[in-house]
Amino acid sequence: MMEIFRNMLRRKGRTILTITGIAVGIFAFTVMGSMALRFNKMISGGKSYVTGQITLMPKGTEFTTGTGGALLPMDVLSKIAKVEGVQAVGASVEIAVREIDPNDPLGGASFGPGATVEGMDLNSDYKNRNWQTLSMKSGRMLEKGDPDNVVVVGYTVAADSKLSVNDTFTIRGRDFKVIGIVDQTLTGPDQYVFMPLKPAREMVIAANPFLKSLKDRADEAAKIPAADLANLPAATRDQILQAKAFKLDDVTQMAAVSWQDGQDPDVVSNRIKEQFKDQVLVLSPTKLGETIDKASAVFNAIILGSAVIALVVGGFSIINTMIMSISERKREIGIKKAIGASNRSIAWDYTLEAGIIGIVGGIIGLGIGIVAILIINSKTAASGAEIFLLNTVFMVGVVAFSFILGIIAGFLPALRASRMNVVDAIREL
Amino acid sequence: MSKVLIHATGLKKSYLLTKTNTVHALQGVSIDVEEGDFSAIIGPSGCGKSTLLHILGLLDTPDEGQYSLDGIDVMKMKASESNAVRAKKLGFIFQGFNLIPTLTAKENVMQAGKYGGMSLKQRKARAEELLTLMGLQDRMDHKPNELSGGQQQRVAIARALMNKPAIILADEPTGELDSATSLEIIELLKKLNRENNQTFLMVTHNMEVANACKKTIQLKDGRNDE
Repeated sequence: MMEIFRNMLRRKGRTILTITGIAVGIFAFTVMGSMALRFNKMISGGKSYVTGQITLMPKGTEFTTGTGGALLPMDVLSKIAKVEGVQAVGASVEIAVREIDPNDPLGGASFGPGATVEGMDLNSDYKNRNWQTLSMKSGRMLEKGDPDNVVVVGYTVAADSKLSVNDTFTIRGRDFKVIGIVDQTLTGPDQYVFMPLKPAREMVIAANPFLKSLKDRADEAAKIPAADLANLPAATRDQILQAKAFKLDDVTQMAAVSWQDGQDPDVVSNRIKEQFKDQVLVLSPTKLGETIDKASAVFNAIILGSAVIALVVGGFSIINTMIMSISERKREIGIKKAIGASNRSIAWDYTLEAGIIGIVGGIIGLGIGIVAILIINSKTAASGAEIFLLNTVFMVGVVAFSFILGIIAGFLPALRASRMNVVDAIREL
Repeated sequence: MSKVLIHATGLKKSYLLTKTNTVHALQGVSIDVEEGDFSAIIGPSGCGKSTLLHILGLLDTPDEGQYSLDGIDVMKMKASESNAVRAKKLGFIFQGFNLIPTLTAKENVMQAGKYGGMSLKQRKARAEELLTLMGLQDRMDHKPNELSGGQQQRVAIARALMNKPAIILADEPTGELDSATSLEIIELLKKLNRENNQTFLMVTHNMEVANACKKTIQLKDGRNDE
């Protein structure tokens, strides 16, 4: 083994360049791989969530972007709750915690979705099949009967805003008492602020000029006593009655349906779709799961792509170094064979040398990658989600990969060395 | 009667230099080496001395002929078997010492033991014993470039002795040494032959070395020159 290290130090410059080549490749592999791991973790958390429910969106909304702004009327949701196989329907609304600054509309943009208010229907019996409960870091989750001024915050939100249980958290000008902090999930809920549906709906309305005008008109109309209304001209009365028809409960951006035990969620999805296809978009767990798998495949391709780059860059530099090195050490190979070295022993020595070059480059590349990841993560954690996820299995895998890369790249030159004609090598003596 | 270690008859070897130029290096050489011999193969340049030594050292194979080494018919052996036989039965000393430059004197000697199947502990003990025998007890941890030519050749001799070979093959063992050191090395080899009954077969064109040998095998144009 010592001989291998000494051989590596014989041509320090060349060895350093080769190791640098591998380190660059492995650095790219580490960074890209950690990013893909983070995305995959988020995606798998999201997948687990969306495959635990039948998702309903108002017709006119685009699922992946959430654009369209359409709403789900409460009477439709009430009817859906009665469809055969449906256990419960939970309405929800979402709105960004941070209000957009009109002078800097992009200022709130960050990596990932950013902190989001999740309005929860506490009166519904709906429960996601896969996410029955979230484990809590401190305090408790929202429960039926909680007042409107309490929130439960996700791990990242609590860390970014330095929140503890019983603290006051001001969201869009309203004060809320924090009653719980969710444990880290490394996916969506880390960025959520769970609150009862009513204040969340009010925030959605306040943020939407059109909804706000409807609500203002409804509030004004509500002030007109019934007796006065009866005396108004029919046309005016109709307008006021229409204005009064706007209800807070109709502001639902999305709903989740849980199915009864023993029911096939795809069959239940189809039933809802058949009956309400004009009002809602129904996304079955299977279909959403497949969509998410496709997204996940893209990130896996990123890992594979960066691994291939590392393989090509590192592999060729090792092959080149080993060929040069073997041609310089032809003499020694001749001596070793003359004193009894077997072909296998020669091949093993050179393959191991290449493997060690690979692993040294791998450890350096991984080390630099980890430092870069920790620095970037510490910066991005303050403004949104962490971009990278480091896990031990991946890091051990990277080191093993760099060693195997060295072994593979070194194998052919080593085989050539082992098959060297000893008389030719001896003649050079 | 002494045991015959090398019995080779009718060895032929040709090399194709170009499509039309074939060199007939050996054209039917026969040689016998007995245990305890201190022999030299002599002859002018190009007479086939080195080719014969390579064949006898299992580094090359003859085109024709018979060869048995310590009773083993080496003509029927596979390459992997001849590596093992070479490690255990043969020792080599080269003209240019040919030590591995990155290894210390002790490590160079130990390396032969590794190929001969000795454990690390055995290798260390045997290498120290041999280097002490060679008078290099103070130079064991020196690299070859820190040793004189004579000292390097002593290390090479220790390496050749490592696996207690049946025979040591030496190719111009004094070729790169001054005359005083040459005599010193030849005396050392003779001492090993005399005291340990170590068999030596060397190739040389140095008549002083040849004269020191008990027996000489003369080659000319790839044939025995009787």
